[in-house]
Amino acid sequence: MSNVRQISVFVDNKPHQAAGVMRIIKESGVNLRALSLADTADFGIIRLIANDTEKTVDILKAASYAVNVTEVLAISIPDTPGQLSRVLDALGQDNVNVEYMYSFLGTSDRAVSFVIRVDDNAQASEALNRCGIIQLTENDIAEM
Amino acid sequence: MEKYWNKEIECMSREDMKKLQDERLVAQVKHVYENVKYYRDLMDEKGVKPEDIRGTDDLHKLPFLSKADLREAYPYGLLAKPLSDCVRIHSTSGTTGKRVVAFYTQNDVDMWEDCCARAITAAGGTEDDIVQVAYGYGLFTGGMGLHGGSHKVGCLTLPMSSGNTERQIQFMRDLGATILCCTPSYAAYIGETLGEMGLTPDDIKLKAGIFGAEPWTEEMRRSIEKSLGIKAYDIFGLTESSGPGVAFECSEQSGMHINEDNFIPEIIDPETGEVLPEGEVGELVFTSITKEAFPLLRYRTRDLCKLSRKKCSCGRTLIKMAKPMGRSDDMMIIRGVNVFPSQIETVLIEQGYSPNYLIEVDRVNNSDTLDISVEMNPDQFSDKVKDMQKQERELAGAMKTMLGISPKVHLVSPKSITRSEGKAVRVIDRRKLHD
Repeated sequence: MSNVRQISVFVDNKPHQAAGVMRIIKESGVNLRALSLADTADFGIIRLIANDTEKTVDILKAASYAVNVTEVLAISIPDTPGQLSRVLDALGQDNVNVEYMYSFLGTSDRAVSFVIRVDDNAQASEALNRCGIIQLTENDIAEM
Repeated sequence: MEKYWNKEIECMSREDMKKLQDERLVAQVKHVYENVKYYRDLMDEKGVKPEDIRGTDDLHKLPFLSKADLREAYPYGLLAKPLSDCVRIHSTSGTTGKRVVAFYTQNDVDMWEDCCARAITAAGGTEDDIVQVAYGYGLFTGGMGLHGGSHKVGCLTLPMSSGNTERQIQFMRDLGATILCCTPSYAAYIGETLGEMGLTPDDIKLKAGIFGAEPWTEEMRRSIEKSLGIKAYDIFGLTESSGPGVAFECSEQSGMHINEDNFIPEIIDPETGEVLPEGEVGELVFTSITKEAFPLLRYRTRDLCKLSRKKCSCGRTLIKMAKPMGRSDDMMIIRGVNVFPSQIETVLIEQGYSPNYLIEVDRVNNSDTLDISVEMNPDQFSDKVKDMQKQERELAGAMKTMLGISPKVHLVSPKSITRSEGKAVRVIDRRKLHD
């Protein structure tokens, strides 16, 4: 298993909210590896993967943000047509439900990376392994 | 052992109390009729003479006074003593319109402080206690009232006034305050700040709190008691009738004993003005019977509550009033349904949310809208949007069950709703702008 810890932050759907979170992260010197923003009419949820999870959680909590940490999967796949479909088929075959996913920058031009949030990490990891899909560890991502 | 500040009065038999009230009412009506032209005109208009009032049984014959009368008579129209006999002025916060000012002679101040001393004693206060008064000082009656009561009891009094919450906690710790007096919303904020400073109730010596000046719920009481490690007592009063201390809670925590030797309560039907029998909910009306400078006969408080003469385990015989459901002017009529902010507060605390909220009422296409912003609970934060939206829906559902109408619930960031250090402003009604 190579689960990756993802940090989620609750923000109001108003100007300057995401900027406020980024300013705090900037001041701490933490580097973000991946990020996505989900929004509703009232609020947004910023999901991010940082090179120092504990520190990021601490500084955000100290600034009174609602923060939670969940384990997600991260994969790296070749940048060719049909690769993502292969991943989703593998998960679908094992009845793994994908809650959401987002892509992020890797180190290679020929590969793309994704964060996948599923309801069952163990099952998903097994399905991906079986199809030979490369899973990234938190260390892999931190060192990118 | 229950302690009383004035056992003779607080435990007086109903019969003796009525006799005392009868005498005092007759004298008070005479005093008002002779010295207050505004009220004399009201009595004359109704054809009531002071001689018609021979005791409390005749109370219903007197005309009502309303807040509108107080505004009309502003500032001196209801004054019953020459200004040279007065020693103090207080004023309402003016949150619901033009300010009302009230005048006090030294005897009036003494009576008021005596009422507050009864409240502090009922909350377990003695000369060994340190009372931290975190009500605002100044024109607002909260600070000076409890301050004076605390002096009377002989407590060491910390006149903090409201605000600067970390310093409040610092003093509480350094000096070992045992009783806190402030608004319930400020008490909740102090409790919250205590936790944020990494402290627990074990780090402070508070044992009791006396909280009033705004309506609060039983759920809020429990939450304050937990966060500060205290027993929380309610206190009631209005600037018009002197200030806090008109009624106070005892160890039973099931309603407030009214200081009947100074104030006679009635419950009326707010529509017809008819006096309702004991136990029925209606508008609370007070008649002062010992005041000199600013006596008010049959003053309509706009507070909705009920009275009870059920025997109290504390031994006091003073009649009890239930916690007011809210002022009748706090009540919002939304899509034809009566809604009180206190109902919303009850649901929030039951569902594990902070009691900091903002109600916004508006009218869109001739239909009322009700939006409630609620601080999300960080312990229930999920990275999944659908989980968070489910929380909004569930909260809206619980609100609908309580209120009878569906609000729109908006989750907002923790601590994003302004904390109150005095009376909390929780409702914005934009419908008035359109009228």
